Amino acid sequence: MSEATLTAEAAAPARLSEEWLAVVIGLGVFALGLLSVAGIDALGWVATTSVWTDPTTALAPVSKAHAGLGGGASLVLAYLALMIVLSAGAAALGEDVKRFALAFTLVFVIAYASWFVGAWARLAAVTPAEQAKFGLSWSLKLTSEGGFIVALIAGLAVANFFPRFAERLKSAIRPELNIKIAIVILGAFIAVTAAGKLNLASSLLLRGVAAIVEAYLIYWPVVYLIARKGFGFSREWSAPLASGISICGVAAAIATGGAIRARPQVPVLVSSLVVIFAVVEVLILPALANAFMSHEPLVAAAWMGLAVKTDGAAVAAGGITQSLIQASAAADGINYQPGWMLSVTATVKVFIDVFIGVWAFILATIWTNHINPRADKAKAIEIWRRFPKFILGFVATFAIALVLALATPAGTSGKLAAAIGEANVLRVIFFTLTFFAIGVMSNFRKLWEDGLGKLAAVYVVSLFGFVIWVGFVISWLFFAGVKPPLVS
Amino acid sequence: MPTPDLSDELKAAPEPLLPIEKKLIGSSLGLGLALLVLLVFANHLIPFN
Repeated sequence: MSEATLTAEAAAPARLSEEWLAVVIGLGVFALGLLSVAGIDALGWVATTSVWTDPTTALAPVSKAHAGLGGGASLVLAYLALMIVLSAGAAALGEDVKRFALAFTLVFVIAYASWFVGAWARLAAVTPAEQAKFGLSWSLKLTSEGGFIVALIAGLAVANFFPRFAERLKSAIRPELNIKIAIVILGAFIAVTAAGKLNLASSLLLRGVAAIVEAYLIYWPVVYLIARKGFGFSREWSAPLASGISICGVAAAIATGGAIRARPQVPVLVSSLVVIFAVVEVLILPALANAFMSHEPLVAAAWMGLAVKTDGAAVAAGGITQSLIQASAAADGINYQPGWMLSVTATVKVFIDVFIGVWAFILATIWTNHINPRADKAKAIEIWRRFPKFILGFVATFAIALVLALATPAGTSGKLAAAIGEANVLRVIFFTLTFFAIGVMSNFRKLWEDGLGKLAAVYVVSLFGFVIWVGFVISWLFFAGVKPPLVS
Repeated sequence: MPTPDLSDELKAAPEPLLPIEKKLIGSSLGLGLALLVLLVFANHLIPFN
C-alpha cells in the first residue's frame, strides 16, 4: 500500500496533524449540532439542498427556525463558517492561510454548485412517487448522492481542460482532510438512524444480526478474495472494493480506505462505481422482486436491503419494491398495510451500517500491525502513531449519539435526530468537497482507459454472481412466510 | 501530485496473500457460516412478531 499523501507542501511547521485536525473539526461540528437538543440551534442556519425542478426552491437553511434567512444567505453563512474554520485548520497545519482562503472560495463555489446540480430532480428523483411529485416521466435515479458524481466530473473537467486554474486551487485541494472530517460526523448520523429503527428491531433483531453476519463475515471475505486472487488487485484496492460491494457502499469504501491508509483516490473511485452500480440495481432488482416474489413481500424487501449498495439507493429500491408489490397484491384483492416493506429494507440496511466503525477499527488494527508494519513494530507507541486517529472520532460520535438516542425519551427523540441531521448537512458538504478535490488532482482519464474496466469487472462478478443471490437465499431463509399486516 | 496508475499496478507482480490475510478471510468466513447456521436454527425457534 502506498504511503503517498496528497497534502500541499507545508509553508511552516505543523502544530497539528491532519488526523487530529479532522477529529477536532468533526467533533466540533457534532458538538454544535448537539446543542440544538438543549434549545441552542447552533447549526440550523447551514444551507441544504433539496431535490428540485424549480432552482429557486432548492436552497434553504436546514432548520425551519431559520427559514427567514433564505437559501442564499444561509449558503453564504455556510461558506464563511467553513472558510474560517478550515483556514484556522490550514494555519494549524502550517499552510499559507491567505492562499488557502482564496483557493477554498473557488473550491467551495464549484463543489456546492455540483451538489446543487446533482439534486436536480431529472438526475436525483428515484421512486415513481418522487417522479410524479416533480411531474417527470423519467429520471436518472442517481439519488441525492448523484451530486458526488457531478462534483467528481467537475473536478476532472477542471484538471483536464483548465490545468492552470487547477493549479490555483491546489492549496485548498485536501481530500484526505475532508474525507476524515466527514467520516467523524458520519458516525453520529449512522447511530441516530440505527436507533430510530430499534423499535421495529425488536422483531427484526435476529434477522438484522443475520444481515450483519452476511455483509461482514461472508460477503466481505469472498469479495476480497475474488479481488486479490481472481483479479490480482493489491490490498490497497481490494479492501475498499470489498467494503463498497459488501457493506454499505460509499461510506464503507471511504471508511475502509481511511482505515488502511489507502490513497484517497482509491476509495473515491470505488465509491463512484458503487453509485453507478446502485443505479443499475435500483432499475433491475425491484422489477425482479415484483415478478418473482410478490407473494413473499418481506423476502423481497429484505433482499433490497441486503443486495442494493448505498443507503439511499437501498431505501429507494425498498420503496419501489413496496409500490410494485402492493399494487400487484391489490390487483389480487390483498391490501397490505403500507410502510412495512420499506421498514424492513431500511432496518436491514441500518443493521449493516452500524458495524462500519467496528469493521474499520478491526481493519485498521490488522493493517497497522500486520500488513504494513515497520521495522520497529514491536513498539506500542509506533502502532499508536500510525493508527488512523480519525477512526477514534468516528467511533466516539457513533457511541455518544447511540447512547443519547437510546436514552432519549420517545417524545424528544426527534430533537436529537434533527440535531444530528443539521450536522449531517456539513458531512455532505465535506463529502462533495472530497469528490471535487479527487477529480482535480487525479488523472482519471488514464484510469478509465487502462484499468477501470477491470475494477468494474470485480464489481460485476461479485455483485451479480454472488452478493445478489446469497442475499436472496438469506432473505428467504429468514423472512419466507412472514407477511405484512393487512389493511383492516 | 501522485495519482494511482491502475494499469501499471495491475501489470506489476501480484501481491501474495499474507498469512494474516488468509487468516482474516478464513476466520471471517468460518465464523460467518457458523453464525448463520445458528441463526437459521434460532429463526425456527423464535417466530416473527
